[in-house]
Amino acid sequence: MFELGGYTPIIIAAMKNTLLVGLAAMILAIVFGLLGAWAKVASQAWVRGLANTYTTVVRGVPELILLLLFYYGFPQLVQDFAESMGYEVLIDIDPFLAGTITIGFIYGAFCTEVFRGAFASIPTGQAEAANALGMSNFLMFRRILLPQAMYFALPGLGNVWMVLIKATALISIIQLDEIMRMAKIAANATREPFTAYFLASLLFLGITAVSMVGQHFLEKRVAKAGQH
Amino acid sequence: MTVLSLNIKNVHKSFGSLKVLKGISLEANKGDVIAILGSSGSGKSTLLRCINLLETPDEGEVTVSGEKIDMVKTKKGLKAKDHKQVDRLRTKLGMVFQGFNLWPHKTVLENVIEAPIYVQKRGKSECIDEAKQLLEKVGLSDRADYYPSQLSGGQKQRVAIARALAMKPDALLFDEPTSALDPELVGEVLKVMKDLAEEGRTMLVVTHEMGFARDVATRVIFMHEGQIEEDGCPDIVFDQPKSTRFKQFLSNT
Repeated sequence: MFELGGYTPIIIAAMKNTLLVGLAAMILAIVFGLLGAWAKVASQAWVRGLANTYTTVVRGVPELILLLLFYYGFPQLVQDFAESMGYEVLIDIDPFLAGTITIGFIYGAFCTEVFRGAFASIPTGQAEAANALGMSNFLMFRRILLPQAMYFALPGLGNVWMVLIKATALISIIQLDEIMRMAKIAANATREPFTAYFLASLLFLGITAVSMVGQHFLEKRVAKAGQH
Repeated sequence: MTVLSLNIKNVHKSFGSLKVLKGISLEANKGDVIAILGSSGSGKSTLLRCINLLETPDEGEVTVSGEKIDMVKTKKGLKAKDHKQVDRLRTKLGMVFQGFNLWPHKTVLENVIEAPIYVQKRGKSECIDEAKQLLEKVGLSDRADYYPSQLSGGQKQRVAIARALAMKPDALLFDEPTSALDPELVGEVLKVMKDLAEEGRTMLVVTHEMGFARDVATRVIFMHEGQIEEDGCPDIVFDQPKSTRFKQFLSNT
């Protein structure tokens, strides 16, 4: 079906990198999201301020710009600084790492809002019952609040995952061999841009379709946790 | 000398400008069943919540099973000095809430064994055995593997009582345990509470159930606007109330 001068298997194999960056970034985003949600309700005003700045800035600036800032801008900043101190350094960020961190950091801001809403959905009596039984706040968070928050957060997290996995296409510009970059190379080499990009879009569609089915089953499995 | 189960001295609590408790002192001996009556807003629930520090008093002292809760003064009132001490003393106070507050993601049995295993760090099989006995005691041994959403309100509250008992507390605090129940379900919960009272458990019960206060309680306290207006044996306070407000309260109910 797709001839593409032998590029078809290469593009399909690039799915691996797309998925790896996507999954690693999603895990990072969930960590940032939990931290952010905690920070948004912290008792210290400066912690809340930091969290609000994070979600406002990150959600308000295009992903592409943040990616370029981190991948090209950050090393330059460090190098200039080092030079002014009389050192010569060359920073070369691994594209996989840069992509994972940037995407994880960006979608962590979206996860922050998802988790904030999820924790707010849990009735206060849940935590009070745990406290009244002598649970420490950490134990209460881990055993009582987090499992229930995950239930409320699941639809939102599924949504973040779908947008996130598509956003990994941006990483092609920093030379990571994922679906988008390989499709672009194939399009240029074979002069069959439609075929190349159509194949790429089918692969993304495949990933998101499987994700949706997975999310459906996951939601069914944890359904019991949300019945108050 | 007998050690008091609970000793509360001069507890004050305000929410904003609203003074909810205006210097409450209360002692509970082992085996006392104290019914706390009062119209809504009289501060009775807040008093109960100040005992296990779900609310921190602005002023005053709370002593649980002979151990005083260390509190330090701050600009905003008192603050618990040592969270570990508070957590430890809370295990000696079982609390039953108006809204049950069972954890919906855990089965009935898991609700009961959670704190004994994770807070008291007791063996799992021992906790399960005890939990089953407790569920039998509250008449729910056949519901151990159900989720709270599959239970009626009365059943939920009985599970909540079993969950509190699983910690082997020195005293039980009931915060309007039957107020959220359909009238036909109140009886099954009151029966469990009556059984507990007959076992000699120390209980503080904020309630609107006059029958329970009259027949089961060993002592009745009537609160009004953050103060104790009437305090005594049920036979005496119900038949010869001293406070006019309590007389009014009784004639309204």
